[in-house]
Amino acid sequence: MQKKICMLGGFAVGKTSLVRRFVQSIFSETYLTTVGVKIDKKSVVLPDKTVDLILWDLAGEDDIGSFRVSYVRGASGLVLVVDGTRAATLAVALTLRERAEAEFGDMPFVLLFNKSDLADRWAISDSEINELRQLGWQIYLTSALSGEHVDDAFRQLASMVAK
Amino acid sequence: MTSTVDPISLAQKAASNDTEIDREALASLLVEIARNVDPDYRARFDGVPTADPRMATLRQLLVGREISELSRVTHLLDEPEQLASAVGGVLPSAAARAPHAQLGEALAPAVERAVQRSIQKSPRTLTDILYPVFLPAIRKSIGEKIDQTFQSLNETLRHIFTWHGLKWRFEAWRTGASFSEVVLKHSLVYRVEHVFLINRNSGLLIAHVTADNATSEDPQLISSMLSAIQDFVKDSFNETEQSGLDTIRFGELRLWSEVGPFATLVAVIRGNPPEELHEIFRDVLFRIHDECSQALEQFDGDSSQLAGIESQLQTCVELKQEDSNQGFPWLVVAAVLLVLIPTGGWLLLSWQSGQRWQAYVSRLSTQPGIIVAEQKVRDGQFYIAGLRDPLAADPQALLSGTQIDPARVHSQWQFYQSLEPEFVLKRLTASLTPPKSVRLSIVEDRIVAEGEAPDTWIDRARAAARQLSAGGPVFDISKVRDVSPEARAAEHWQAYVSRLSSQPGIIVAEQKVHDGQFYIAGLRDPLAADPQALLSGTQIDPARVHSQWQFYQSLEPEFVLKRLTASLTPPKSVRLSIVEDRIVAEGEAPDTWIDRARAAARQLSAGGPVFDISKVRDVSPEARAAEHWQHYVSRLEAQPGIIVAQQTAKGGHFYISGLRDPQAADPQALLSGTGVDPARVHSHWQFYQSLDPKFVAKRLVASLTPPDSVRFSIIKDRIVVVGEAPAAWIDRARVAAQQLAADGLSLEISELRELTPQKLTHLREAIQAVDIFFDSGKAVPGPEQLPVLDKLANHLKELAKDARKAGVTAQFMLTGHSDATGRETANVSISAARAETVRALLKKRGVDPELLLVRGAGTFEPAETENSRTGSSANRRVSVTVNFH
Repeated sequence: MQKKICMLGGFAVGKTSLVRRFVQSIFSETYLTTVGVKIDKKSVVLPDKTVDLILWDLAGEDDIGSFRVSYVRGASGLVLVVDGTRAATLAVALTLRERAEAEFGDMPFVLLFNKSDLADRWAISDSEINELRQLGWQIYLTSALSGEHVDDAFRQLASMVAK
Repeated sequence: MTSTVDPISLAQKAASNDTEIDREALASLLVEIARNVDPDYRARFDGVPTADPRMATLRQLLVGREISELSRVTHLLDEPEQLASAVGGVLPSAAARAPHAQLGEALAPAVERAVQRSIQKSPRTLTDILYPVFLPAIRKSIGEKIDQTFQSLNETLRHIFTWHGLKWRFEAWRTGASFSEVVLKHSLVYRVEHVFLINRNSGLLIAHVTADNATSEDPQLISSMLSAIQDFVKDSFNETEQSGLDTIRFGELRLWSEVGPFATLVAVIRGNPPEELHEIFRDVLFRIHDECSQALEQFDGDSSQLAGIESQLQTCVELKQEDSNQGFPWLVVAAVLLVLIPTGGWLLLSWQSGQRWQAYVSRLSTQPGIIVAEQKVRDGQFYIAGLRDPLAADPQALLSGTQIDPARVHSQWQFYQSLEPEFVLKRLTASLTPPKSVRLSIVEDRIVAEGEAPDTWIDRARAAARQLSAGGPVFDISKVRDVSPEARAAEHWQAYVSRLSSQPGIIVAEQKVHDGQFYIAGLRDPLAADPQALLSGTQIDPARVHSQWQFYQSLEPEFVLKRLTASLTPPKSVRLSIVEDRIVAEGEAPDTWIDRARAAARQLSAGGPVFDISKVRDVSPEARAAEHWQHYVSRLEAQPGIIVAQQTAKGGHFYISGLRDPQAADPQALLSGTGVDPARVHSHWQFYQSLDPKFVAKRLVASLTPPDSVRFSIIKDRIVVVGEAPAAWIDRARVAAQQLAADGLSLEISELRELTPQKLTHLREAIQAVDIFFDSGKAVPGPEQLPVLDKLANHLKELAKDARKAGVTAQFMLTGHSDATGRETANVSISAARAETVRALLKKRGVDPELLLVRGAGTFEPAETENSRTGSSANRRVSVTVNFH
């Protein structure tokens, strides 16, 4: 079973780094700057089946207006990536999700607070994260550097979209 | 001298050259000059005048024009601009007449540089210039090349009368195609290596088939990337067409894609494929859609239900044309014959099915929301294309019961939006989701909305109405009443009221909404938030709010606290705070403030909070005591002979330590009248001797007890003693002076004069000459000695008095003696007893006993040497010596 997944997040939040080490990829990162999208695959083995997550890594945009929402068409889930050292990227990720869902309806997602290895520059309070968790959101503090929780997040998303 | 030239003729001759010369003026001038050439006339002059005006006139007449012309030319050469315009006028013809070789050489470097610069600056300009020149040249060159190729091809074909050539000619005859077409067909070598079927919506791979020996990367990733690139092209160039990218070419490889409603078929072809391949791919795609349209539409990444598709795709992959060495196509001929025989029967059947087909098509045409654009029957297959509204009846479903084999029907429907009112109504209902209070209906081809709705919905409906195409039905929403402003205003008002109610110091007694106006009444503390100010930002029109507030003093602790702070102005050391509804003051304050605070606490109304000032410590007595103490310390420090080393005030007690001269003022005595409680003062003084001359002098006076005739004074740190004193005192003073010198102080005694009054000396001698005699063994003098005693007593009294006058003290030593008879111890004892007796007798006669000293000398100081056996009466006596102090 395959599922289209879109990775959304502001500029330089580490989306590309997150996928670089943990997925199968045949396309170089120049696709991001030329076509505005790069496709990678992450196979997740669940107890009853194997889900191939086809990850669409969209070029990060600071300007939300230039976000090509059409790339999200047909997606089964979202990976929202936030740079934990820049509080503003949370708002960017949530806005991108709103735009995607306004166009194509609600879909499951996981919210990653990335760069958790930079504890001294961390800008998101625990209470803020807990508030979001109260909404029932699946939230992971990830680090592309150490790989912490990256696999957990993909596994969680795979089980959500495979239902 | 007479002129030999006729002036008239000269003038005329000149005129023949230059018509501009005023000949008449010249002639008359010359005549006049000639007349004047007369010896008499000349004699009157010393010489011909240097500046003859006539000469100037003559010059003007002859060369005036040349002069002006010359100056014009000079001016022309001197002015660069004028020169440039003058040269510019002749430059083209000058260049034309210049020798070509030389001009070319001179201009070549300048022109090269100019072109170089132009290209550097903007290559486009030169490209535009050269474009008309290059294009025909290139075109011609290519044309020639193509002609050449074809020619050589033709030549080759013509000359090689080989087995191939024959075979191809046969094939051409057999198929009815032109020979060149056959050649082209055989030279088109291709192979379909991969076929992908990709979900149009998500870009996920539905199926993938590969030819033998062909390799590629992960097909799932490729299919997603292909659709991403499709999207990219569509977005980048604003292409709205349904079809998408249908050809990508990269060297030998071509990607051809065919787009269906739910899936896209992408074929990867190596080589030169013929155009017919498009048709084949399209057919396969249509077949797949026909068979599995529902599964395709609902595809969600699970391709297990679409397993049969791969076999369909397999037919595409097997397509290829190889330049193999085919044998004579006997098999093909046989196959053709086999095909031809059933054709007759097939034609009959196809006519029948054609009839059924036409019935189906006409039925479709009458369906609302379906427009048949094109339909044809070919080779027993039915092709139909057109538009259909997604809400219209399904053409596929209509097929059932028509006896037409659905497998032979190839439909190509483009979705469109029908403008028939009923479709528009359906779409509007789906997209606008009107609230229950709104009803949509069709009234005479118009769509009418009626009822009540919030403005957000009305806005959306209005936008939808505008978007309806010009040809479509009118969407009338004028009958929908906007219920939102009142509802919102009421909502805002309630939010405002509840905000007010939660404000401390504001009590809302009553509020209501009536005819769009808001009324509110209640109590408010002057220190509470301003209800008017709270209105801002609530979106309530202040003009519609009618408030009636009565002021009152809120007894809520925080307001009481504010008022207390304003009225009491507590010192910085006092902090007011609210602790469990009580107002608590803590810290330190002087008693005046505490009194005011206590009064304020009493005045607080019964229902109000308690004002607790018990934790404010009265710091005024200590402050005052500390002030007094400091005053006392500074007074001590100013005292000579007192050195304050250390002083502190702690816990209401005062500690002071230091040095003091015994002669200095008593610190304890200084305390009186300072207001400092002596019981709380703990002093610790070390005595020291101040070297201040004043103190030294005092000490000297105390220790030397100088006579009245001596005066101490201090002159420039020196202590000077002047006056008269007995020699003994002067001796003691000298010793003191030596001791002081060791401490670096000087005591001047050189001014002292020795005091030895005559009378005292006489008296002393008289007194010392008298002895009191005793009988042997007796300690009391006999009666004959009494007059001696009386006289002695008088002398002593007189001397004591005189000595006192002189400032000295006279002391009288009474020394008892005994004779040498008897035991020595008895003699010592009797001598002391005789002295004691005399002392008592003198005391009895009025001599100050203090001045009388007594000693027993025994036999040691005899008045005369004696025979120890008989004894000497002269030695049994009491003698008197006088000493002055």
